[in-house]
Order: sequence, then structure tokens, then C-alpha cells
Amino acid sequence: MAWLARNLFSSWMNSAVSVVLIGAMGWLAIKLFQWLILDAQWAGSGPGACADAQALCWPFVRARWPQFLYGLYPAEEVWRINLGLGIGLLLGVALAIARMPARRWIAALLFLAYPLLAGLLFRGGVAGLAPVETSLWGGFFLTLVVAGSVFWVSLAAGVLLALGRQSHLPLLRQACAVWIEFWRAVPVLVLLFVVIIMLPLFLPSNIEIDKLGRAMIAFAILMSTYLAEAVRGGLQSLPAGQYEAARALGLSWAQSRLHVVLPQALVVALPQITGNFIGLFKETTVLLVIGLFDLLGEVQRAASDPQWLGTGTTATGYLFVAAFFWMACFSLSRASARVERRMARYRAGMS
Amino acid sequence: MRRNSAFWLQCLLGLGLLALLLLVFRTTQANLELLGVQSGFDFLSRKAGFSIAQHLIPYSEDSPIRTALGVAILNTLLLAVFCIALASILGLLVGVGRLSSNWLVSRLSLAYLELFRNVPVLLQIFFWYYVALRALPSFQSSLFITDYLVLNNRGLYFPFIEFSGGLSISPPAMGRFSYEGGFYLMPEFLALWVGLSLYNASYISEIVRSGFESVPRGQLEAGAALGLRRRAVLRRVAFPQALRAILPPLATVYMNMFKATSLAAAIAYPEIVSVFVGTVNNLVGRPVEVMAVTLAFYAGVSFLVAWLMGRWNERVMRRGQ
Repeated sequence: MAWLARNLFSSWMNSAVSVVLIGAMGWLAIKLFQWLILDAQWAGSGPGACADAQALCWPFVRARWPQFLYGLYPAEEVWRINLGLGIGLLLGVALAIARMPARRWIAALLFLAYPLLAGLLFRGGVAGLAPVETSLWGGFFLTLVVAGSVFWVSLAAGVLLALGRQSHLPLLRQACAVWIEFWRAVPVLVLLFVVIIMLPLFLPSNIEIDKLGRAMIAFAILMSTYLAEAVRGGLQSLPAGQYEAARALGLSWAQSRLHVVLPQALVVALPQITGNFIGLFKETTVLLVIGLFDLLGEVQRAASDPQWLGTGTTATGYLFVAAFFWMACFSLSRASARVERRMARYRAGMS
Repeated sequence: MRRNSAFWLQCLLGLGLLALLLLVFRTTQANLELLGVQSGFDFLSRKAGFSIAQHLIPYSEDSPIRTALGVAILNTLLLAVFCIALASILGLLVGVGRLSSNWLVSRLSLAYLELFRNVPVLLQIFFWYYVALRALPSFQSSLFITDYLVLNNRGLYFPFIEFSGGLSISPPAMGRFSYEGGFYLMPEFLALWVGLSLYNASYISEIVRSGFESVPRGQLEAGAALGLRRRAVLRRVAFPQALRAILPPLATVYMNMFKATSLAAAIAYPEIVSVFVGTVNNLVGRPVEVMAVTLAFYAGVSFLVAWLMGRWNERVMRRGQ
């Protein structure tokens, strides 16, 4: 009661606001419950089960589940995706365990060998694996592949760009600054079109990169400039003493960056890097505009199937995708906030 | 010795960059020749031959492509300005709501933030366009918000000032097949406006909240001690100081919102990407020139906005020193 009085009814104004809000929320809750639970079609299979176009249609999501996960990837080859993603997950979990022995080797395996291995496994064409064209890739799988590989490339490129922007060579510094500032001004969709249309013109005619590859290049160009800015913030937060101490120890340029500067700068930049990764993850939905089918693209494609005409597939599909992205992004940002708090405590304890 | 090596390193770097640019230029030229693509900007004065649903300046199919570009640029800017206005108001409300002493208000503001920030903006736009707007009544049974504001599944109609022999305000009037007179916002515009604004308002609310929280408590207490009312403390003491922390990240969100108007291409609202990169490029087949114009537009506006926000920031920082 005391809590209520203090937090909701501390003044006439506050009480009025609280009452109105409680009423509105109650009404909304009833409406939502009706729409999400009561009116929704849960059971049955096939388009026939969903006669009411206004109601949510969960049989649609059940029927199209493999398409949402893997796109048009051949069903008999899907084990390759599961195996590839499973190995990645295993390595990631192993790396996250603080007391794991040989963590350095696991990290090397995850960041150096695994991407190539997974790429070969997914594409096929080697070791008796049937080749699967990237135009068949789609759904959640494509979202993960694009977000993962773009992040992997961009982090390396972003660190190099950030170091370049700090270089004592004016020409290199200027070149990096111009590159970063220019691409930061360009929307991701425009860059996608630019790379898809222009890259074949820039390259000799015997080199061909498929649409997915080009899209990843476009994302990587943008992502690396964002990450470069994040890393630059980290670099600038280091006291000059760290650079001087590294030099006083006789470390070379590369040694000092690798062992002294970058480990600290990356930790400082971590919250922003995670934020950028979440942004990238959400931004992969733009792929559907250029005809690549990520999770949202597959849902869109499935919902416009004439077989399911006149059922509530669009709303159901969107709700499903929204719930997926919401859970992924929310837990990522929560995890990042927790790491940030721990870092703050750690640093406070050090000084 | 060190200086010398730096000099040569830069020479090498410069030559390398130059060689790369030259190589790309030569390959592009060869490729374009191979494809039989012509070059030049003469296509801008060619007849457009396609219609654009929303144009703020006079435009018809007989207008030159130049005019179509102008229409597209104005549509882009119109959307950006509308989004920035709505997102700012919403963001300010939600951000201040986070700091409210009313538990319900602050929790709801937090729920808003977490809900809209963690769902891709393109999905939100699709929701408004394909689900929410489709559920609106048809033209025959339009919603009248007031006599002057009409909403149906073809868009939002509102009165507009007309210059036909003197100023007059023309309300939307029911024609045979649609509303005529007044001004009209197409459904694509509405979906983008609402979607982009709600999404970016969540980011602005965070900026506003941390801006206000950065004001030392002592400042508020001092204001109260001087006998200022709570509202006056907020407006005269807290807000000007919060603004210093708010402006730089706010400029970034505004830029992001401007860039995100390009998502319009996904639902065919006629802004620069869908008109120019889409329609015009297909029509004239001059990818290099079309892309150059588009990139120049985005870069130009970005640098202009960055400069303006920088100037504003300077003024805010100078005030009260």
C-alpha cells in the first residue's frame, strides 16, 4: 500500500495519470489476449485451417518452418547447415567458459579455421559434397551467415582502419579518414545497390562474385567504418603513458599494438561494438529488397503464396519474425550491459 | 632516417592508391565499352515518360528526367523532415517519461524503448504498410478524425493553403472516386513516417534520458532553492544543460533517420532510391552516372547536416560560459 501511494498516487495529477494508464493497459491487454490467444488459429494444417483472414494463423508457420530456417536449401543437404552451425556454437560456448584449457587455440580455430570450413561445408563442391548455389540459401540461416561473416571481416578491417586513422603518416591518416567519413554518409540500401550494380564493372570480366558475395561486401564496407569509429573511441581513451611505456620497453609498432594498445582499446569499445553488431543483425532484413531472402524475406515470400490467400499469414509471419528478432536483440543487449557493468567494477577495483 | 622512411612509405602508398584507382577506371571503361553502355549526363534532359504518384513541384510524364530527380529529392527531404519532427517529439516524451516519479509512466516508457528498439525497422515499416494500413476502412467509409482530417486505406487527407487568386484554405472534399483538394499523404508515406519515427524515437528517448541524468542534482536543488517552480527548473535549468549532452548523439540519430528514408524503395514510395536508382536506371541504363548522383546527394546532405548540427552544438556549448 505504501509503495502504491508513493509510486502511483503521490499527487492528484499522478493519480489521474495512473488511473488513465491502468484503464488503457487493461483494455489493451484484453484486446491483445483476444487477438493473440482466443481468435488465433492454433490447430490444424494447410490453408483450409485458417478461414478467418483477420485471425492469426499458426498452421502457416508450422507448415513453412523449414523454409523459415533454411530457405530453399535442399532438404537432404540441410544436415550440413546443422553441422556447420553446431560446430560454431560448440566452439563459441567453449570459448565463453573462462576455465577452458587452451582457450587461445579454440579462439584461433573459431576465428581463423572455422569460417573457411563452414563456408566450404555450406557451399559444397568439395570432398564429395554436392554444390548448393547461394541463391538457394535463405531464412534464419542466411541471416546468421551474413551477420556472422560480415562481422568477422569488418572487425579486422575496422581495427586496421582505426589504426590507419591514428597513423603518423599524414597521407594514410587522411585516406582512412576520407574513406570512413564518406561511407558513413551513405545508407546501407544505396551501398547495396552500388556494389551489386557497380562491382562487376570495376572488376575484370573473368572475376565473378555472386549476389550474396556482393551484398556481403557492401555490408562489410559499412560495418568496418562503424567499427573503425568504435575502435577509435577505444584507442583515444587510452592514456598516452600506455603508448610511451610500450615504446620504452622496446616493443615494435606491431608488438605494442597487438599486446598493449588493442587489448585495452577493444575492451573499452566493446559496448559500442556489440551495439553495432545488433544493428547489423537487424539490418540484414534489407537484403530482401535486392532479392536475397533472409528470415523476413522468406516470411514475406511464404506469406504471398497464393495457396494461403485470404488467411492471416502476413500478420502471423511478421509477429513471428518480430518475436525472433526481439528476443535475439534484447538478450544480446542485456548480455552486453552485464559485461559492461563487470568491466566498470573491474576497472574501479584496479585504480 | 625515420623521417626519410616515412616519406618514402607515403610515396609508395600514394602511388599504390593511384595505381589502384587507375586500374579500376580502366577496367570500368573497358567493361562499359564491352557492354555498349554510353556515358554522360545528357539523359537528365531526356523525357521521363513515367508518372510519379506524389510530387511537390509540377511534374508530368512529359517532364525531363531532371524534374523527376527534383521530385524524388523533395520527396526524400519531405519524409526526412516529417520523421525527424515526429521522432523528436515522441523521443522527448518517452525520454522524460523514463524519469517520471510515476512508476507506471517510467515502466511504460521503458517498455516502449525495449519493444521498438529491438525489432528491425524494415519489419516495422512492413507491419504498418501491409497489416495496419490495410486494416483501415476503404474510401467509402473513411474515418473522419475531424471534418478536415480524413483517413482511409488510400492515405491521409488534410486541408492545405491554396493560392488561387488569394489565399484560401481548401479542405479535402469527397470526389467520385477519392478525396480531392487539400493535401494528401500516400499510404507508403504514412507507413514510412510512422515506422521510422517510432523506431528512432526509442533511440532519441535514451539520449534524452541520459542527457537529463547528466545534469548534476545540485543544479536542480539550487534551482528549487531559488524558489523556481518544478517546471521552471526543468525548462530553465535542466534542459539547457541537458541539451549539451543531447545534441551530438541526436545529430547521429537524425543522420541515421535521413539515411533510413532509403528503405522507401522496399515499398515503392517515390524517393530518390526508388525513382532514380530503380526506375531511371532501368530506363536509361547509365549505372555509373545514376549512382554518382545518388551518392553525391546523400554525401552532400550528410555533410550539410553534420555542419549545421556542429554549428548549433557550438552555440549551445558557448551559451552560459
